[in-house]
Formats: sequence, C-alpha cells, structure tokens
Amino acid sequence: MKTIPPVCPEPESGPKYWRSLDQLAERPEFRQWLDQEFPSGASIAPEGETRREWMKLMSASFLLAGLGGFASGCRRPEEHLTPFAKQPENYTHGGWQYFATSMPSRGSAQALTVKSSDGRPTKIEGNPLHPDSNGATDGFAQAALLNLYDPDRAYRHTFQGNDVKVEKVVDQLAATAKKFAATGGEGLAVLAERSSSPSRAALQAKLADKLPKAKWFVYEPVDFAVSAQAASIAFGSGVVPHVHLEKAKRILSLDCDFLSTDSDATHHIRGFAKGRKPGDGMNRLYVVESLQSLTGGSADHRLRVRPTDVAKVAAHVASFIASGELGVALKALAKGSPASDKWAGEAAKDLVAHKGEAVVVAGYAQPLAVHLISNALNALLGAIGPVVELLPDTEKNDGGIAEAVAALNAGLDTLVVLGGNPAYNAPTELDFSAAAKKAKTVIRLGYYEDETALVSTWHLAGAHFLESWGDARTSDGTLVPVQPLIEPLFGGLTEIEVLARLLGEAKPAPYDIVRATFGRDDQAWKQFLHDGFLKDSAAKAVTASLDATAVAQALASFKPLVASGYDVVLYRDAKVDDGRFANNGWLQELPDPVTKLVWGNAVIVSPATGKKLGVTEQSKDGRKDGGDAAHAHDGQFKNQFIKVTLGGRTIEGAVWVQPGFADDTIGLALGYGRRKVGRVGSDCGFDAYAFYAKAGGHIVTGAKAEKIFKKDYLATTQEHGLMEGRPIIREANLAQFKAKPAFAQNMDLDAHLPHYVPYNDDGTIKNIYKHPYKQNPETKSEVHQWGMTVDLASCVGCAACVVACQAENNIPIVGKDQVMRGREMHWIRIDRYYSHDADLEVTGEHASADPQMAVQPMFCQHCESAPCESVCPVNATVHDEEGLNVMAYNRCIGTRYCANNCPFKVRRFNFFDFNKRETDYAKVQGQFFLNTGNLYKGPLAENRNEAPNWEIIKLVKNPDVSVRMRGVMEKCTFCVQRIEQAKIAQKNIAKGSSDVRVPEGTFKTACQQACPAEAINFGNMLDPESAVSKLKKDPRNYTVLGFLDIKPRVTYLARIRNPNPAMPDAKSAPDSIRDYERFRHENPFTDESGHGHEGHPAAAGAAPKGAA
Amino acid sequence: MANAASIPAAAAPKGKQHDPHAVPPKIVAIDPPQEFVRDSLVLNGRSLGWLTERIAGVCEGKMPIWWWPAFIVSAGMMTMMFALVAYLISTGVGVWGLNNPADWAWDITNFVFWIGIGHAGTLISAVLFLLRQKWRTSINRAAEAMTLIAVACAGIFPVVHTGRVWFALMPGWLIPAPNANYIWPQFRSPLLWDVFAVSTYGTVSLLFWYVGLIPDLATLRDRAKNKVRGFFYGLFALGWTGSNRHWSNYEKAYMIFAGLSTPLVLSVHSIVSFDFAVSNVPGWHTTIFPPYFVAGAIFSGFGMVLTLMVPLRTLFKLEDIITTRHVELMCKVILATGSIVGYAYGMEFFIAWYGGSPYELYAFKNRAFGPYWWAYWSMISCNVISPHLFWFKWCRTNMVFVFFVSIVVNIGMWFERFVIIVTSLHRDYLPASWGYFTPTWVDVFTFVGSFGLFLTLFLLFIRFLPAIAISEVKGVTPQADPHHPLGGAKGGHH
Repeated sequence: MKTIPPVCPEPESGPKYWRSLDQLAERPEFRQWLDQEFPSGASIAPEGETRREWMKLMSASFLLAGLGGFASGCRRPEEHLTPFAKQPENYTHGGWQYFATSMPSRGSAQALTVKSSDGRPTKIEGNPLHPDSNGATDGFAQAALLNLYDPDRAYRHTFQGNDVKVEKVVDQLAATAKKFAATGGEGLAVLAERSSSPSRAALQAKLADKLPKAKWFVYEPVDFAVSAQAASIAFGSGVVPHVHLEKAKRILSLDCDFLSTDSDATHHIRGFAKGRKPGDGMNRLYVVESLQSLTGGSADHRLRVRPTDVAKVAAHVASFIASGELGVALKALAKGSPASDKWAGEAAKDLVAHKGEAVVVAGYAQPLAVHLISNALNALLGAIGPVVELLPDTEKNDGGIAEAVAALNAGLDTLVVLGGNPAYNAPTELDFSAAAKKAKTVIRLGYYEDETALVSTWHLAGAHFLESWGDARTSDGTLVPVQPLIEPLFGGLTEIEVLARLLGEAKPAPYDIVRATFGRDDQAWKQFLHDGFLKDSAAKAVTASLDATAVAQALASFKPLVASGYDVVLYRDAKVDDGRFANNGWLQELPDPVTKLVWGNAVIVSPATGKKLGVTEQSKDGRKDGGDAAHAHDGQFKNQFIKVTLGGRTIEGAVWVQPGFADDTIGLALGYGRRKVGRVGSDCGFDAYAFYAKAGGHIVTGAKAEKIFKKDYLATTQEHGLMEGRPIIREANLAQFKAKPAFAQNMDLDAHLPHYVPYNDDGTIKNIYKHPYKQNPETKSEVHQWGMTVDLASCVGCAACVVACQAENNIPIVGKDQVMRGREMHWIRIDRYYSHDADLEVTGEHASADPQMAVQPMFCQHCESAPCESVCPVNATVHDEEGLNVMAYNRCIGTRYCANNCPFKVRRFNFFDFNKRETDYAKVQGQFFLNTGNLYKGPLAENRNEAPNWEIIKLVKNPDVSVRMRGVMEKCTFCVQRIEQAKIAQKNIAKGSSDVRVPEGTFKTACQQACPAEAINFGNMLDPESAVSKLKKDPRNYTVLGFLDIKPRVTYLARIRNPNPAMPDAKSAPDSIRDYERFRHENPFTDESGHGHEGHPAAAGAAPKGAA
Repeated sequence: MANAASIPAAAAPKGKQHDPHAVPPKIVAIDPPQEFVRDSLVLNGRSLGWLTERIAGVCEGKMPIWWWPAFIVSAGMMTMMFALVAYLISTGVGVWGLNNPADWAWDITNFVFWIGIGHAGTLISAVLFLLRQKWRTSINRAAEAMTLIAVACAGIFPVVHTGRVWFALMPGWLIPAPNANYIWPQFRSPLLWDVFAVSTYGTVSLLFWYVGLIPDLATLRDRAKNKVRGFFYGLFALGWTGSNRHWSNYEKAYMIFAGLSTPLVLSVHSIVSFDFAVSNVPGWHTTIFPPYFVAGAIFSGFGMVLTLMVPLRTLFKLEDIITTRHVELMCKVILATGSIVGYAYGMEFFIAWYGGSPYELYAFKNRAFGPYWWAYWSMISCNVISPHLFWFKWCRTNMVFVFFVSIVVNIGMWFERFVIIVTSLHRDYLPASWGYFTPTWVDVFTFVGSFGLFLTLFLLFIRFLPAIAISEVKGVTPQADPHHPLGGAKGGHH
C-alpha cells in the first residue's frame, strides 16, 4: 500500500515531535479517531489503570502512531542515515516509509517515491504528485533499484588499480584543487554526463569562476541534445522543445521511437495514451522509421525506409506544407524519397487539417536536418505553443567528447571524469583510451569499475542516487530533489561532493550544497523534500517564431548520407540503454519490446535482407513462425553469424530476422559486448560501438555484410509471432469500431457459434460443473471481488510493468541458458504478435516485410473456474473468497500439472533455486548439455555464491513477499500483499463497523502503478463506481479464450487503430481481423456471424460472465 | 447275438425292442479334422517331471554365461539412473529439458510407457484366466513379474519429476493423512487418482503374483539343495504341502484375485489417461482416451512380453513350453490392439475436424505436420503399420522377426506418449507461449537407466524364481487330463 503523504500545513518552530501528520494538524478527524479507538486510554490520563494496562495501551497507541507514520515524509533534515542501533521514534519495525526523490538521467530526471523497508529501499515508484507524472515510471527506473544492491558495483576507491582509503582520495582531490587554484585551472578538464542538476550547474559555474582555464566537457553516447540544437537554429535562441503528445491529434514521427528508446518515454507514453482513447478525438500516428520499434507498432500508418532515407521522406512530407525558400530547400532534399507522393501528400494534408493539434517529432539518431524539418513543421502546423513548448536550454559546456579528446591529446594534465564510460562508448575514431593515457592523472568517479576505470589513475566509487543528496529537473523543468534513503553502502561519493572538493572545499556536505542551491526557507525546503518537487517550478515556455531562412540555409548546407552497401543503425537499447545497465540482471532478462531477445544483442536484418544474406528459413507462404525466421526455428536458437564490415572494422554477431525492419539495413543495439563489466553483463552480445565513429553517428552507411561459418545461441522469450487467426488480440479500425462497438464480443467460439458452445437461459455458458461460488456461496466475499482490465488501445508494450512486477514480487533472474529453455520467471509476459497483409501473400510479395504489430500483457487471469486449481493434487493452488487464484507455496510439490492446464501458460515453475544462484547468468553450453555450472546445487554441493558482496543482492527483496524456493510453482498474485495491506488499513479505519470495503484508488498493483499509459486497471468489481467495474461494461471489453468458460477476472479492451482512409496504405480492417476472417470464415462486424445468440451477454455487451 | 457286436448301433433295425442285456455297440471314435486339432500346449509330450526339472532348473543351477554380463550392464545402467535421480533431486527438475509450455515431457512419457507395459501381465494372468485361455500358463508368471517391475520403473518417474520430492512422498501431501493444517489431497485431481490407481494396481498385482508363486516356491523348497535356499523358499512358500485343502484354498484365492485384477486392467490406464483427458489442453481433452490408452497399454505390454519371452525361450531352451503357438497368439493380440490404436489415431483426427474447434484441429495438424512431425510419423509407422505384418503367418512364426517387431512396437508406444504429451503442450492456445522441448542428457540417460532397473530386476527374477508357473503348466499338459491315456489316476507323475 502506498500512501501519498499529505502536505505539512504549518511551519515548525523548534523541535517538535508528532505521531502523525493528523496529530500535528490537530485535525478533528484525528481527535475523533483517537477517542474512538481508546475511549479510556491514550487520550485520557491513565487514572486508576494498572501498570500493565497502561503499558498495553501505550504500546498499542505507539504502534498505531507508527502506522500513521508511514506517511511521514516530512522529516528532520538528516544528512546521515544510520542503521537502527536504537529504535527511533515514530518508527514501526516491519512497516515501511516512502520518500520522495528522483532519478537523474541524461539531463532529465524522473520524479520518484521510493519505499523503504527497515531502512533499505525496496521499491521505486513514480511520484504521482509531480505535475508531469501519473506515478508511473519506465523500466530503467524500476530496475535502478537492483543497481543499488549490485555486488559488482564499485565497492572501493582505487589508485592505479589498488584499494585506497577514502582519506587518500580526499587528499588527492584537495591536492588537485590546490594545484589548479594556483594555475587558474590550466590543464584541468572535467568530462561529465549531461545533468539537469542546479547544484551541479552552480558548482560548475563556481569552477568556471575560480578556475577559468579549466574546461568542462559533456558527453553522452546517446544524446538527445540534437533536438535542442535544431530548435535553437529554428527559433533563434537556446531552446529545448518539450512535446505534449496528449494535446496532439495527429503525430508524425520521423524515426522517433518516443514510446520506448527516445527521450522521456514515460512522459510521451502517458501523453500518447491520453490522446489515444477510441472515439472521435482519437489521435493518429504516422511513423517513418527503419527499425521496427514500439512506436512503429503503435502506428496507424508506418512507412518502412532505410535510415538514410528518413530525411528525404521528412522533406517530402514537409514540402507539401512549407512554401517559399524553405519549400525549395525541402523539395531539393526530398529528391529520391521512397515515399509515394500520395503517401507524403495525404499525410501532410492530414497534418495541415489538424493545425494546432498536429505535431512532428524526430528521433535522436537522425541528423540535424530531420530535426530542423520537424521544428519547422511544428511551427508551420501551429504546434509551437499548444503542443510543443519551447523551454530555455540552460546547459553550458566547452564541448563534447571530441573536444575532450583533443584536449587530452594536446597534453591535458588532469582529467576528471564524472560518471559515463567513455573508454567503452566514446566514438571509435577518437580512441579515448589512448588519449586518456596521455593525461598525467585521470580521476574518475564511476559506479562500476568498468572500461574507463582501467584507464583511470584514480577510481572513485560513485554513490547510487538512492544514496545521494542532489537535485535535478524533470523534462518540463520542474525542480525535483534527489534525497538518500540509505547511507552509501560502500562509501561512494557523489558528483557534487567531488566537484566541491575540486573547488577546494575541505568538508563539503552535499546536503548543504543542495540546500544552499535550493535557497528559500526551511518550510519550503521541507515541502520540497516531502512532495518530491517544487511546485510551479516548471520552466516557462519561451515564445519564439520560426526563422525559416535559417532553417532553409541549414537544410541547404545539409549533406545527406548517400546510402551505399548496407545502412547501419546503432540504436539505444531498450534494456541496457547505452550500456550503463549492462550489469543489471532485471534489464538483461527483460525481453526486448520487439524482438523479445534477452541477454544480448543481435545483428538485426529484414526478412528480405536476410534472404539476400542467405540466413532466413522462410517457408513458402511466408507465414511460418511469424516470419521471425532466423529465429527460433523449431526451437533451435542457434543462429547464423553475420560479419558486418564498415570502415575497416568488423562486427560478428548472430543474426535476427526482424519483420518490419528496413531492407538493406542492419540494426545493432548499443550497450552490449562490454569488455570490463560485472558478472551479470559479461558474455552478453557484441560491442556495436565499433561502428560508432563520431558522436551522434548513429546512422552510418556503406557497410558490407556476409554470412560466416559460425552459429551461436540467441535467447528469446517468444518464439512464435503470429496469432494463427486466433482472436487473442482483438482489434478494429476506428470506423469499424464506431459501427459496431461490441465487435470484440462477437468473436471466437463463445460468440459466433452458439451451437458450438451451449448456453443457459440466463446467457451463461452451459457447463456440467456449477460455478464454484454458486456451489458454495459462503466462499464468496460480498465486500471485495477483484478484477482487472487491460486496455489494448493504450498499452504500447513498454514493459515497465514487467520490471515493476519483478521488483515488487521478488521474481528471480534465471539467465540466458534458462530463458532459452523457456524457463523465464516473469509473471507478466508482453505478448507481441505480427499480422501480415493477407493480400500480399496472395500476390506473392514478401508477407512479413510490413507486418502490423500488436502487444498484449499476459499474466495470471485469475479464472473463477480456474483449470489450474482442479488438477492440483495437493490443493496448493486454490481460490480465495475475493476471486484471487492463490498459490500456497508451502503446499506446492511441483507436479506442474497446473501449468500444463493453464490455457494462458502464465504459471512459472522454479526449475532451480534461482534465488540462490550465482550472478554470472549468461553462459550457455547448449540445449542437450545444459549449463548447471552456475546454479545452486543444494546444501551439500560446492556452491560458489561466496563471491565478494554476493549477499547484498538479497537486500533488494521485498519483505512483504515470500521468496520462492525451487520446485514450486508461482505466478501473478494480483499483488495480494498490497490488497491485504489495504484491507488491514481499511479495517483499522472501520474499527468495528462494517465499512471494510477498500475504497477505490487506495492502492494499485505494481504493474498498474508503473504503467505510464494507464492501460491496466485493477479494482473491486463489487464497487459499481470503480474504474474496473465501469471498464468491464465497456463494449470493447472481451475475455481471451472465453469459450473455455473459465471466467477470467482479467479482461481486455479491444485495440483500435485509426488509419486515414485517404492514405495509399490504408486498410479496411486490421490484418489480424482479416486473418481471423480467413481462418474462421467469420466476420465480427457483420450481423450474419452473430445470428442466433441474441440475449447472451457476450453479444449484449454486458459484464463478463464470470462476475457471478 | 455274437453278430450283434459287429453291427453298428446306428444300423440296428428300428423298432427292435431294446435288449438290456445286449452288448453295447462298439463306439467308433472319429478323429476330428486335422485343422480342428489344437496343438498340445506342451510339445513333444514332455512329462511332468521334465517340466519341473527344466523350469526349476533355470533358477537352481548356475546361470548361463550371458547372464553375468547382462546383469552387470543392467545393474550399471540402474546405478546410473539412481545417480541421475540423485542429481535431479539435489539440483532441481531443471536438469531435465522440461520448460514452459512443456512442463511435462519425458518424465510422464516414461511413466505412461512403463505403466502401459505393466498391463500385459495382469491381462494375461487375470483376464485370460477368467476366459479360460489355458495358453496363458506358459507366460503368465514372467508377464506378471514384468508387470511388477514395470510398475516399479513407472513409479519412479512421477515421484521424482515433482519439484519437491520430499514433500511428494510425505504423508499429508499426496498420501492422505491427517495433518495439523487439516489439508487433504485434492480429490478432484487426476494425479491423485493416479496415486491410488497405480498403488492399488501394484499391490494387487504383487499379491496375485505371489499367490500364484506359492506352489512353485514349495516345489523349489522341496528341491533345495542347501539350507539357505530351503529356508527362504520355505519361508515364502508359507508351509505349502500341496494338500487338497491347500489347493482348494489356492484355487479360490487365485480366482478372487483374478476377479479383482480384471477391472484394474481397465481402470489403471483409463485413470492414467484422465491425466490428459480431464485437462483442457487441445490434443489431451478427448473422451477417446480411456479405451484407447487401455488398448495401447495391452499392445505395448504384449510387445514387451514378446521382447522378453522370445529370447528367454531360446536361451533357456523352453521352446516346448513357450511354443510357437504361444508366440503366435500374442502376435494376434498385438495385431488386434494395434488395430484399435490405429483406429483411435484416425478417429482423433476425425473428431478434431468434426468437433469444429479450431484449437483442437490445429493441435492435430501440428502433431502430424508441426515441428514434431518426425515423432508423429515414427509413432504411426511403429504402431499402425508394423502390427499389420502379423496378418502373415510367417511373420508371426519367425522368432527373429517377432522379436524385431516387438521392439518396434515398444518404440512406437513410447513415441505415442511423447507425441500426446509434448506436441499437445508445446503449442496450445496462445501462440506467444509456444515453445519447443529438447531433452537434455539427463533426460536421455535417466530413461536409459530405467531399462537398467527393469532388466536388473528381471534378470534377478529369472535367477531366483521359476519364470514359468510350474504347477499351472502341468495343469494344461495332456497328462493332467484324467481321461488322457497318460493322465490322472493311471499313475505317472504328480
């Protein structure tokens, strides 16, 4: 249960302690509450009470005060957090506290609230109070928790590779400060990551002031700053565009994967999903891209082009909108555009028709020209203002990595590297490692002893953001605090502290620095820490008008890459980012949102390119295995290797044939193939930075590729990508939906063939078994019946829920070898399906070239007549009175019959003691000879998990959820621990009364909470006002495999696509529906198929049959 | 009057008054046509003494030379199996290739395979006994022993395939027993039915087998040349003296056990088939399974009986007792049950189409043409095609050929279970969850090792116990018929 702390109402004077905020506020409710609970006790002096009774009452009231204390986010500003040698006041052992903080990344931040259990952070959530958040996060933020407890993190300070005490480090920094104070900073340079921290900016300014000759360089291998650069050219001042997709009705994405790998995905998913509500105001998404991305999967119209052609298509579309000088420049640039005039023209027309509500976004990988075009179009479409805010760009630096390397080569004395890992991810042509060796001293503050640590003289262990004081700004400019929840586990330092020491401060306290930067009074500071953001601190939008001439000139001077050979896209990975999360097992094992690959990257090619390279195993009709041919052919994951050569460098990797990928293009995910990394990240994939020749060079051309005589295993969590005509994800075009809103209930065996599934008079499916709750009415709770809906129109497949669930429910990581064997433990599976254009197949064109993609989160459906329950021989999986299918782990003997009988295959079996296994997960020996070398082999065997710091990984476990041993089955519990906590809290409120129903919105399941799209809704189906009750009445609501009459409590809302009928690639119906029609000879949109089932609830659009 | 003797009775003039003193007309016995004559169940007119000598001699004398290498290899395989089971239990079920979606694969395949083999023994001993099929006597003892051993082999797999064996075996989980939490097993689960069905079957089979052994144990006791043998055979012979009262009780007990075992022949494999039929997995959820599984079990059981008996009769020179006719009859059972199985395969496809469920239809298409097509077609060629060779007499009487086909039948029946279990599981309802099962070396060698257990126990059986029921075989010899020239009261051997 997460309770949002209420605001502190009045200033505090002097030390004053309170038991709860209500008490502090002296609210009448509190007084009443106190009186009710202890009429003769806590609120009245103990006249005549015995000593024992007094003790009883006092301890009870302290306990309750502690419960109230969950909410006490307002706390004394402590700098040091210490373990509880003494029991602190207002602290309940075993309870938790929530603290507002934020996770800074790449010049932005996510506002968070973090749960602390007994002094250790155990779960990261978004901060719902933050104006630009709904309490959701992305997968990175969820998984950042595991980084905190990573046994492989830098746990020591080193000098030339040897351990040194922190005092030595302090001395060294003091000496450096002294030395450069004398020279004015001559010979000193700082290489930092992008940051939005005002404190760091202040220190940077101080440094520039005190050491004017010192240089400040900034480097991010995946840098989103190109958009600011373009905006600054287009609008003539330092501005950053901030897009509000919720306000856009028409969106054109120019290779911008804003739903996953581009900047601020959480913010964009939220906005996009808000505008995606099926109905008249539904947005429409045009995507021009080379990779098959999640954004492309959500597109209504997707144009698959080579990455070097995106600029041409952008110009092509823009040339229909812009005129004059700009139009001329665009027309010149549009030459050779692969888009047809009709495609570009109709798209442009649609955008223009929605002036003020249309927006164009460009991807970080694309060159400046594309961003210029998007900025220009936004201005021409009237988006600047209503949809796109131009925020002032405050970032200051003396250059990027190229300048830094130049300085090093010119004989820099001391380089201070703050974060980042340039030795791994700097552009190859710069050869950072060689340059760094030329410096006298390299002082590096890093979270891992990684590649850069190898070229550093001094390596300083960095602190996790959950161990640090700091501040940051979110993408809208709102100021957020970074406050620690735990003392640095290994005495790590923060950027702020290192910078302060460089400035010569003897005892810098990051807290004081952050506090000083914040200014204002103590009350505001407390409020700031409590809320996790500063109210109304969002950056004020700049008004600027388009400088069309500047754009035209810049475009005219733009030299587009001329495609030759194969184009190569080096893209930010959706899991390990630019490599920074390579040692995070949760993210390594998180399936890529599209390929579903885990534990490594692959050489990604399109089916046609694969064929050209001789690596596909496409069957005649192009259908087999969903076209992800090279793939898991018959379960064999041993994939052909491809050697890619570019500019004298080669990369060898296993090939992955990806439907929807651009032809003659090779996709290589960055961040893998780390040379110096922890035990988790070693042996994962290959290093694609070999082709990353210059900063921002994500798209290169002229590569050669050939098949080589080598194969290796790729691990994927989904082998089959086609729905086989089965109505699992049900979708329709907006027009179809409007004509027949309940189409989704008119599909599959339970709807259209009444003679196949017999019905009772009341419209329920005839079943020889009585419904369990009808059979035993006393087993049904009349207070709570939990249910869930998943809106497939909103869900984009970002997989934040998967990581959130993993963090909340102590789900183990199993490793590559085990994933290959289909033993991943995720309780949530994001099923990704492709559907092909049936017409293309008939005409013999490559069917899997341009598939439509759809995703569906799949987890335990909590069936009322659960097939798993009736087959368990020991009663280990049973139903509770509130509709949950629960697992009694203690009882489970692991026959796995339940998993066999689960039609959704969502049960997960602990084939090994995954929680006790070693962390080197990626080793694979083969299918027949499995790798058990790094598994826990029982108490008598020699086990290796005595490695340094191995134990700390256990701290990540959620104490509210049991950790499962091997041999037991597990699965989604609907976060039963949160349900029970909410019920207990409500019972405390209810006292003896019958008011025990948990009110709507009191708590959320972990997946629901993490979902930026708000696609997942969970609640009490007995509460007619709950969102889930209302959504279950939505005409789009349907049950997957409803004909089995197992009555799942999870239902789905059909997905709606919104194609533009004027477009040349517009389809009258989604491909999956046409597939369904072809396989089943049924059409859910016509009446014929619905004959004979009047009155049965599926057709009538009533609540699911299960809600008995 | 004297003439009258030469006049056939039928030719006596009608109406002539019957003379009570007349010498009855001579009865002329006309031999039945040659094709109606059944071969004697023991050839070459072997005497009862020869039978005792020959059968008891097998387990009394020194074992032939081949026995020792066979025993050492089998015992080695058995040891390997137990070592692998220890590895499995200590490390986790994951050392097998099981996965999600194929949460069962070789484990349950092997279980059903072995339990199916166990069916022939009880069928031969009980059903054929009730049906007065006297030819059963030459083979029933060994077949019953095979049943018990096969049930032991079968029992291992469902136990060790559980994730937490220590709980599976603890009373209160699978075994109903009162416990502090008042939790009972779940009686709706077919797996629990399995526990009861298999344990009942094993127990009744063991008792049946043992009861049948008592007279022979007494024979061995009486023939024992040293005290140890005498003591142990005597102990287990329960004081059998061969008195009329003993025989009377014995016959009653035997009949009761036959009556008890007969429904078990049908129930065990029906219940094993419920593991699948009760589920909702396409390819499993089908009502044809109980009869089809029983027929398949008898089919595979007779296959295994032949695999064992054909070499045994040659190696121990028992051709006069286990005759070609016996082998032929078993081949005919294989032909009959094999045809039932083949019919069931066809009917499954028909119903998959006729039933109208696209999920079901896909499961069967996938069986034949999906990634496991090779397993399906191996099954079809072994189980559907090979038994039909037994329409030809040559095929039924050529021992090498029969041995070969019996092995093919066993391979086919293993594949049948593999096909049913794995191809149905690996692709069920949601394509996103589809997968593929590949065995690991532990799977393979555990299964191979279970043959080691099987053969070890069988070799020990023929080493220490009479592989043929001596007393029962004697009962079906011509001599046992009191009306036979050599039989009954006219003397001869007892």
